[in-house]
Amino acid sequence: MATQARSAGERKVRRSRLLPRSVLVVGALVAAAISAFPVVGGTDSYVLQLIGKFLCFSIFALSVDLIWGFTGILSLGQAVYFGIGAYTIALSMKLNYTIENSTRYGGTIPDFMVWNGLTEVPGFMEPLLSTPIAIALALAIPTLLAFIFGVITFKRHIYGVYCAVITLAEALILEQFLIEYQAYTGGFNGVTDYGNTRTAQFLWFLVVLTALCFFGARLLTHSRIGTVLKSVRDNDVRAEFMGYNVANYRIFVFCVSAFLAALAGALYAAWVGIISPGDTGPRFSIEAVIWTAVGGRATLIGPFIGTFLVRGLEFLLSGSWLANYWQFFMGALFILVVLVMRDGIVGTLLNWYRARRRGAPAEIREEQDRLEKDRQHDWRPSSEPGSRNDPV
Amino acid sequence: MALLEVKGLTTRVSGFTILDNLDFAVDEHELRVLLGPNGAGKTTLISLITGQYKPTSGRIVFDGRDITGRAPDEIFLAGISRKFQVPNMYETLSVYDNVMVSLQSARRVFRYMLKRVTREDDDRIWEILEFVELADRAGEPADTLSHGERQWLELAMLIASRPKLLLLDEPTTGMTEQGKQKTAQLIQRIARSHTVLLVEHDMHIVRQLAKKVTVLHQGQVLAEGSLDEVVDNETVRAVYLGKGHA
Repeated sequence: MATQARSAGERKVRRSRLLPRSVLVVGALVAAAISAFPVVGGTDSYVLQLIGKFLCFSIFALSVDLIWGFTGILSLGQAVYFGIGAYTIALSMKLNYTIENSTRYGGTIPDFMVWNGLTEVPGFMEPLLSTPIAIALALAIPTLLAFIFGVITFKRHIYGVYCAVITLAEALILEQFLIEYQAYTGGFNGVTDYGNTRTAQFLWFLVVLTALCFFGARLLTHSRIGTVLKSVRDNDVRAEFMGYNVANYRIFVFCVSAFLAALAGALYAAWVGIISPGDTGPRFSIEAVIWTAVGGRATLIGPFIGTFLVRGLEFLLSGSWLANYWQFFMGALFILVVLVMRDGIVGTLLNWYRARRRGAPAEIREEQDRLEKDRQHDWRPSSEPGSRNDPV
Repeated sequence: MALLEVKGLTTRVSGFTILDNLDFAVDEHELRVLLGPNGAGKTTLISLITGQYKPTSGRIVFDGRDITGRAPDEIFLAGISRKFQVPNMYETLSVYDNVMVSLQSARRVFRYMLKRVTREDDDRIWEILEFVELADRAGEPADTLSHGERQWLELAMLIASRPKLLLLDEPTTGMTEQGKQKTAQLIQRIARSHTVLLVEHDMHIVRQLAKKVTVLHQGQVLAEGSLDEVVDNETVRAVYLGKGHA
């Protein structure tokens, strides 16, 4: 079929490597800086707690980026999966904590259960007494839930705005549920006073897990199946008419994303030592969407940068004389990003770099259209219209 | 035996009959051109064959299998690839990746997950890109292509999927004369090894390509035969070709 064979040298398509050296170097530096912090700043510092939190949040933002940036599913209820993971771990830690450190009522069951008239740990919570089982459940339940949700919505061709609204409702329901069933969840106050894992070693652990998550996400998005996901994002109709069961691909990536969100939630609950219904609600879900948008969706480093930037700014502003106004600044930043840098900070920089290397897409297209018009101008029919001459 | 057979196909949308008990067949290794005025049901027929819509009644048999009412992805896997009227590709993906995701392969998520682009895949992609003369643009995102190039890219994607039947819905719309000529040549070369069903308005192109023509009118087959036969047909001239042609 080919007219002439192309030599191997000409056949190069510039592909980013699975792990570019620059990413490795920068990543290693960031990881080293974060890990070195406890040594420099001491293990008790507030900044240390913040960094651990931000690492969890950046995994969470990554989970949003996988579905939104790479597959085009906007979920406004991603905190559901974060929250379930977090609550599972928090409850498990709380149950174990109260056995060793009895509450001020002298009991060995969590205080909020006592307030609500429970006398012993309910049967369905007993598995949580074992930490490995709790960890497994914290990751498995959200993934399973995401699967069920995916089957219900994506199989019925519900996506886009409708999907966003349904996920939003999902987050509202869970938040209300947690407040309502306070005997089991601690209600509005959430789960508190169960210790935490705030040590230098655990920070290391967080750094390693974050790195693994980003590496795993890069494996996924830069593989052949990642290209299929992007093709679903770009044009789901074409993908469907190309034989892809689009719903199944959406369900798949939704489950992966829920798994990451659950992992982020579990780590967060363990690290911070407090969890409340707000961490499962729509507000928190939308925040994660904002981090991703600011950093740059459809890039992997974007969610990481967005999280640290937005949460870092929030920390700095809320502590300064601007304390009363910082939320206005955050709102303004988001509007600015959406209006001026639709691809976020990383995306805009990348676009600028690529445009410098080969001209902007719009320019290329204009040039191509002009060339085509020129050719049309030069073109002379080789045969009279209507003749039967075979042009080949 | 016919590769594609449409039997008694009827579609009604809110009381309006678009296809009316249509019988139609395409043989293997045929290049069939579908003609008809606007609203004759050409695109509807293609949408029904590819599973975008479901017929009110009637059967569609492809390659000995009844594919009536199946989902688009299943029908694709049975061997029917469709080119849309408007260029339809993955805009942010590179030209190379557009062809790559269209390659024939297992489509199930977990089978696909471990797939890599092998040497043979790579060779095939370049072969196809050279065939449509887009190899020079392989690394660029598809949205930098001009309108004509997009049409050719979509043709490339169809070939990559190794279909048994290609449905091309007006592949030359909006093209320059030169572009139309190139498209006609591509289709002619594709038709040497594939069965093609082509919807085309441009009589110049139809003359070059068509061996056998089917004319649709108000959801029914009005005439079928060689282009000359069809053009000489009085009814066809009355409803479609008008005074300017023939």
